Amino acid sequence: MKQSAKDDIIQSQMRPGVITRDGMLGEDRRNLCDILEADDAAVRRLGLTHAAIAARMRALRDAGARGLGLPIGALDHFEVRVDSVRGKLPCPFRHQGMFPKEFVEVRNVRSGEQAMFTELNMHLIEAHGFYEGLGSAYRQEPETLARVLEIVP
Amino acid sequence: MTELLIAVGVMCAINTGLAILLVIADALIADYGECTVTVNDRKKLTVTGGRPLLNVLKDQQIFIPSACGGRGSCGLCKVTVLEGAGPLLPTETPWLTPEEQKANVRLSCQVKVKRDLRIQIPEELFSVRQYRTQVVGLADLTYDIKEVRLKLIEPPALTFTAGQYIQIEVPPYELTAEPIYRAYSVSSAPSETGEIELEIRYVPNGICTTYVHKHLKVGDTVTINGPYGSFGLHPTEREIICIAGGSGMAPIKSLLLEMERTGNPRTCRYFFGAKAKRDLFMVDRMRELEKSLPNFRFIPALSAPEPGDAWEGETGLITEVVARHVQSAAEAEAYLCGSPLMIDACIPVLRAKGLPEANIFYDKFS
Repeated sequence: MKQSAKDDIIQSQMRPGVITRDGMLGEDRRNLCDILEADDAAVRRLGLTHAAIAARMRALRDAGARGLGLPIGALDHFEVRVDSVRGKLPCPFRHQGMFPKEFVEVRNVRSGEQAMFTELNMHLIEAHGFYEGLGSAYRQEPETLARVLEIVP
Repeated sequence: MTELLIAVGVMCAINTGLAILLVIADALIADYGECTVTVNDRKKLTVTGGRPLLNVLKDQQIFIPSACGGRGSCGLCKVTVLEGAGPLLPTETPWLTPEEQKANVRLSCQVKVKRDLRIQIPEELFSVRQYRTQVVGLADLTYDIKEVRLKLIEPPALTFTAGQYIQIEVPPYELTAEPIYRAYSVSSAPSETGEIELEIRYVPNGICTTYVHKHLKVGDTVTINGPYGSFGLHPTEREIICIAGGSGMAPIKSLLLEMERTGNPRTCRYFFGAKAKRDLFMVDRMRELEKSLPNFRFIPALSAPEPGDAWEGETGLITEVVARHVQSAAEAEAYLCGSPLMIDACIPVLRAKGLPEANIFYDKFS
């Protein structure tokens, strides 16, 4: 896929120090369009959609929010903690609004595996199919999300 | 194909040239020289222009609280700029109410000093200082909360009121190439001016919490600045209802220690929420306080006790426990500290018990 001028502008928002201190690209040197294309292919190989992945993340987040900041059992065999730190972040794709710096820690009690994602991660996946660049602290591997959160086609 | 490559090469060369020109222009043309920042119409600072106001003030030992290192993502570093700031930036508007915008409130991290400025800051920020401290104690309160004890070296004492917070400077280490600042409530008594205690919960990927939990050692030097904040006990005769969870214990503990020191006779109930017994801490200290403060009661509650906990105390979410214990709160005041989710859930419970919103005070972590 060819990177457009608009993609360049969006990708510049993801660089370290623009929206977040470390940026959203990690050590990934690929163009944004290539990152999106590769993750889209990975999601399709899993037989999933970005919307389905985001919906599962959202369901776990909402169930975990009932713990009021403490870990709580959710959706049968998950333990979820939802917490936040001061501040809000804008979407690098220039969506309106700001996203709270909210963290969702999920432990699959059955498998023992864990995942951690943010409110912004959920939006980026749902609205843009963006899982962050390789090596980014908040990178979400589609395969890992599908496995840990047990997202099935 | 050759033509295409030439075109790409020419475009790259033009872009590179323009970028170099911009850098040169910024270095040579954008020289703002010396500027004067007048603070609260009485303090004049002569500074070199071109840098964010937040950093300029910090260099002059005026510390504006900021939780994001000046990236405009925490909205905390608000100051009133009466003259010289230029137009409001798109990066500021999400953080400012229409009233604040009208009153010339700005984010000091986004305003660059390009000409003389006249600004207004809260008077109490003049008492904020930078301190060099030494770690004299590190203890695991739970598996994810650490107690950090800092001895004040220079200046040798920190004067604060119970409920206030300080900012820790995290030096460059594997997770950060530049110093960053994070805020933590002081958990020790204000009377103990030579040392302060903090309670810091580990947050995955957290730059400061990873530093504290995995790198900080007894004997290390730590730079802090403070004190900040207006959270604290109001001098009334009302019954006190405290609600906290996790490291939200810190400012409440400081309030209680101050009540102990002054022999405060007010009725006080402290609801503390944890998941299981392994998340509880300071229980013995709270039981001691129940003895020294005859009208104080500590009510820990577990939301999901583990089978081996043999827990006979309160169970359920802290909102449920508060609802069970508090009959009428019309004559009370409440102090809340912890997760925003907890605070947001507790406020309607207290309101339903008749507690006026004006008497609910909280220190949200967000």
